[in-house]
Amino acid sequence: MNKDKLKIGIYELTGCAGCALLITDCEMELIDIFNAADIQSFLMVKSDNIEGELDIALVEGSVTTENEIEELKDIRERAKVVVAFGLCASVGGIQARFGNKEWKENYQKIYGDMEMTHTKPVQSKPIDAYIDVDLYLPGCPVGKEQFLHFFTRVLKGAPPEKYPRPVCVTCKYNENDCLLNKGIPCLGPLTADGCGSICPNHNLPCTGCWGPAEGANPTSEYFLLKEKGFDIEAIKKRMSNYSGTKLAEFFEQFKKESK
Amino acid sequence: MKIVKLKKTNLFLFLEIISKEADFWAPVKKSPDKHIFEVIEDFSKINLDYTRTILPPKKIMLPSDFNMFQASNTKYTPDFSHVSKKIIFGIHPCDIHALVIMDKFYSHEYNDPYYQKARDNTLILGHSCWPDEYCMCKSTHTHVVKEGYDLFFTDLEDTYVVWIGSSRGDDLIRLKPELFDEDLTDKDIQNFSQRREERDKAFTNDINFEAMPDLMELKYQNLLWDKLGEACLACGSCTNVCPTCNCYNVEDKPILGKNCSNISRCWDSCTLENYSGVAGGENFREKRSDRLKLFYTHKLQSYISKYGKPACVGCGRCVVTCPVDINVYTVSKSLDNEEVDTFWNRLSKEVTK
Ligand code: SF4
Ligand code: SF4
Ligand code: SF4
Ligand code: SF4
Ligand code: SF4
Repeated sequence: MNKDKLKIGIYELTGCAGCALLITDCEMELIDIFNAADIQSFLMVKSDNIEGELDIALVEGSVTTENEIEELKDIRERAKVVVAFGLCASVGGIQARFGNKEWKENYQKIYGDMEMTHTKPVQSKPIDAYIDVDLYLPGCPVGKEQFLHFFTRVLKGAPPEKYPRPVCVTCKYNENDCLLNKGIPCLGPLTADGCGSICPNHNLPCTGCWGPAEGANPTSEYFLLKEKGFDIEAIKKRMSNYSGTKLAEFFEQFKKESK
Repeated sequence: MKIVKLKKTNLFLFLEIISKEADFWAPVKKSPDKHIFEVIEDFSKINLDYTRTILPPKKIMLPSDFNMFQASNTKYTPDFSHVSKKIIFGIHPCDIHALVIMDKFYSHEYNDPYYQKARDNTLILGHSCWPDEYCMCKSTHTHVVKEGYDLFFTDLEDTYVVWIGSSRGDDLIRLKPELFDEDLTDKDIQNFSQRREERDKAFTNDINFEAMPDLMELKYQNLLWDKLGEACLACGSCTNVCPTCNCYNVEDKPILGKNCSNISRCWDSCTLENYSGVAGGENFREKRSDRLKLFYTHKLQSYISKYGKPACVGCGRCVVTCPVDINVYTVSKSLDNEEVDTFWNRLSKEVTK
């Protein structure tokens, strides 16, 4: 293998595998991807995987078992740069929407006292709950354009500048008639940009699948939706679908602020 | 300035003749009550029964996202593919004033070739309008135009009174002079004046823009800004829809498999979190309220001191766009000590409960 090429590993923890699959879906660019980088490990596409030192590790999925905690720590030790790849790795995914107490109850309901022999399950968490993460690329799954841009920049040693902006920015570029202003509960203002505002482009409200946008203002949107007549529980549910463990933070802050 | 008359029934014929070698942009319906500027070939799609489009015509000069050039270690290739011969038809006085402001801005200290070239290739065919409850152009004195257009069509029932604003506009008329009548009758002039008077009376908004620079200064530390900051969603919509907002961000887009990069440019917004972020992780306007102060300083204060008029042309787009009622109307009224019924006022009561 070429010594100049960056050594890359692509790993999947708990998720739908959609983000890893997205890479294989870059059909026109696949040859360029494999030419530009030395893909050492990528279980979905190859069998001769080498688990050694890495320049970059892309980690998809959230952490839901003790084995995964160990695997993740091992990846961190071997990789210079770790990327949280996709929504699950970044915020914990749909599977992280419950608080610890709720999770335990749900777990009990489904598995009862069944003994787990292979590994012990834990509540779903984003990878930064266990290791330091260098870069984040949200999306459910990550967008193709977004991935290729990110990947190329990282290969050139210049990861994209962090520039938080919500779905609304692209939605306005696309000149959509704003759904929120028409009383439809669109989560565009709270959601990280990157999907091309695909839902509002089709007259459907954003449900937040790119995960929480940095710098967003959930308190304001929460009260705005409430004022527009939506049920508090329905708003919470909607806002928590894709916000993973970041929601807990929000409701904590929200409790303080609303006192 | 020359003034001519055109029969309404001859409009499409005229448009067809002048638009043969240009992209023809005109207002069309986007949804039952929203309009956008779009390139059209079928003139029957034109919908002049509109007040403001969702995005202003700035998108026609500088698209929201475009490539400026391609660069490698040895080569630099500029990309002007957004420039083409264009005609914008049906643009209202407020938006024409906004273009004049943009013209000044992009040629004042630094010439921006991406704007200049696009602008030089664009003909502006204005059209008269009627205010709705959100139009504020009378307060900003941008409800009538004296410059910035090539032709301006005033709608008088079955005819247009057409003002010729430039030699390029005159050239257009000369393509088919027989369609135009140079003799305006007393009746025409009377109709024109009457329309103008009636339109002047139709404005329901009145903002004291003259007082704003001082009020901005005096109230820079006012609690008002905290209230606004509390409600602002940092969504960037207000700046994207504002016809005089011109901030942009530049990004390197290296091409996979090639040793070169596209350098692209997209609209930026001062209301976004990292707008004032700099290398090293410092952010000079981390608070939403500080970022809103920047927006309103631009609209209500600094431009006035530099150019003698506000950077707001009163188009009302921010008013119909901001989901939480932060806009030039509510902010100016509050600076002027008037109570306004807004979401941000109600929210502030809610969170301090
Ligand atoms: S439709 Fe949704 S995403 Fe688009 S501008 Fe409105 S709130 Fe934002
Ligand atoms: S739900 Fe929101 S973030 Fe997800 S694809 Fe739709 S618009 Fe994009
Ligand atoms: S703001 Fe003035 S110029 Fe603009 S559409 Fe309204 S009335 Fe016309
Ligand atoms: S500040 Fe508002 S009213 Fe003024 S020009 Fe901008 S969008 Fe129009
Ligand atoms: S002022 Fe309104 S439109 Fe502008 S960023 Fe804040 S919430 Fe969005």
